[in-house]
Amino acid sequence: MTQYGFYFDSTRCTGCRTCEIACKDYKDLGVDFAYRHVYDCEGGDWQMQSDGTYTQDCFVYHVSLGCQHCDDPACVKVCPTTAMHKDASTGLVSVDEHKCIGCGYCHMACPYNAPKVDREKGHSVKCNGCAERVAEGKNPICVDACPLRALDFGSIEDIRKKYDGVDSVPPLPDASYTHPNIVVKKCPAAARAKNVAGLVANPLEVM
Amino acid sequence: MQFSVAELPLALFTTLAPLGAGAFVALACAFFTTSFSDEQLKKIDRGTIIPLAIVIVGFICAFFHLASPMNAPSVFLGAGSPMSNEIIAGCVFAIVAIVYVIVTNAGKLCGSARKGFAAVVAVLAVVFAIFTGLAYVMSTIATWDTPLVPVQMLGFALVGGAATAAFVLATAGAWADACKGSFKSAVIGLAVVGAVLAIVDLVGQLAMASGMQNALVSGSELVSGALLPAIIGLALIVVAAALVFVSVKKEAATGLAAAAVIAALVGIFLARMAFYAIQMSVGIYFG
Repeated sequence: MTQYGFYFDSTRCTGCRTCEIACKDYKDLGVDFAYRHVYDCEGGDWQMQSDGTYTQDCFVYHVSLGCQHCDDPACVKVCPTTAMHKDASTGLVSVDEHKCIGCGYCHMACPYNAPKVDREKGHSVKCNGCAERVAEGKNPICVDACPLRALDFGSIEDIRKKYDGVDSVPPLPDASYTHPNIVVKKCPAAARAKNVAGLVANPLEVM
Repeated sequence: MQFSVAELPLALFTTLAPLGAGAFVALACAFFTTSFSDEQLKKIDRGTIIPLAIVIVGFICAFFHLASPMNAPSVFLGAGSPMSNEIIAGCVFAIVAIVYVIVTNAGKLCGSARKGFAAVVAVLAVVFAIFTGLAYVMSTIATWDTPLVPVQMLGFALVGGAATAAFVLATAGAWADACKGSFKSAVIGLAVVGAVLAIVDLVGQLAMASGMQNALVSGSELVSGALLPAIIGLALIVVAAALVFVSVKKEAATGLAAAAVIAALVGIFLARMAFYAIQMSVGIYFG
């Protein structure tokens, strides 16, 4: 099996949402759904020094996320019908809509906010890594759409060889929960977020 | 709190089904501790349709949560997943309880066979209540990932079940006779232990959640939104247990038992809403 995964370069991402919109366009999604979200992460504060001047440790950066097609996906683990499954040849996680009952357990369990229940369609929906494009040897649409070339995709083995990076950056959970197939290049602001409390500043957009 | 409204069908399911199941535990205790007359048994058996109906209504509510209820048989494919385990345990309990109600109402069970069958249904009811709680325990939802959740559900089943069984026995004219013997201690024990488990576990869970945080929300924010329904819910559960306690001293306890069932139903439902309101992921999600 070739396990596929994403690369995300937070030093390049400007938070333009082209990845998100390209995905919505390609997958023909309505206003209520997006399979890729851009999280605006902000934090820090101003501190007055003894001489009356101010210093600050404020930061802002963006994290573009679809599904991480984890090695141990929480959504697959809790799915009561086996509708949520990992493809045996690509490792991409997708939904079998003929089995899915739309109970939303995958949505609750995923710490990456990836699957959602589309009640009109009657089943869970999520990023499937553009499996149909991958089968044709193409990249997922979000990767090709990114104007800053902040995204890449491929065999996770190759991605990990090609890029230095980490598998978790705030606001992502610790990788030990699901073992995500993602490599993130941290920008200095993201590195700072480890030490200074930060929050996702656009919860209404991403939730 | 506004987020938990989406979980309304599940809140109703997890209120009604364990409460109805719990009644079979208390009724089994009654059969083991009291010698009822044939007339009383006939009426009790007819009344046992009430907790069974509560369980079935609970399952119907759960269907409203599904986007594709027609695919529901697929849940048996995922045996081993927490929700499949819950549904399998629930179906086994419900089927055995339905058979029990049919057989007893047909007058086919008496003596030790009744006790044995009632004990089996009671054990399955406890297993179902625990699995209903376990369905919510997952490592990626920090505020639910605790053994307090299944124990809490067992508490709801015991206190709500004691109240419902009291109502069944009272309407069958068998309550006074049952309370003359050791059933009195058993039903008080079930109600008190159930209420204590519900209170200690929900309060413990709220305390635990209030110290948590993810990148979207703090646990203390979620807990403050859930506090009012939690307090009212737990107070009503105490009222339900107290009404069961008071009713053991009364000859005619139908009114008190009915009040206990209503207090338990509303109390457990509010506690469940509070539970859903504190859902917080270890990652980038809160419910």
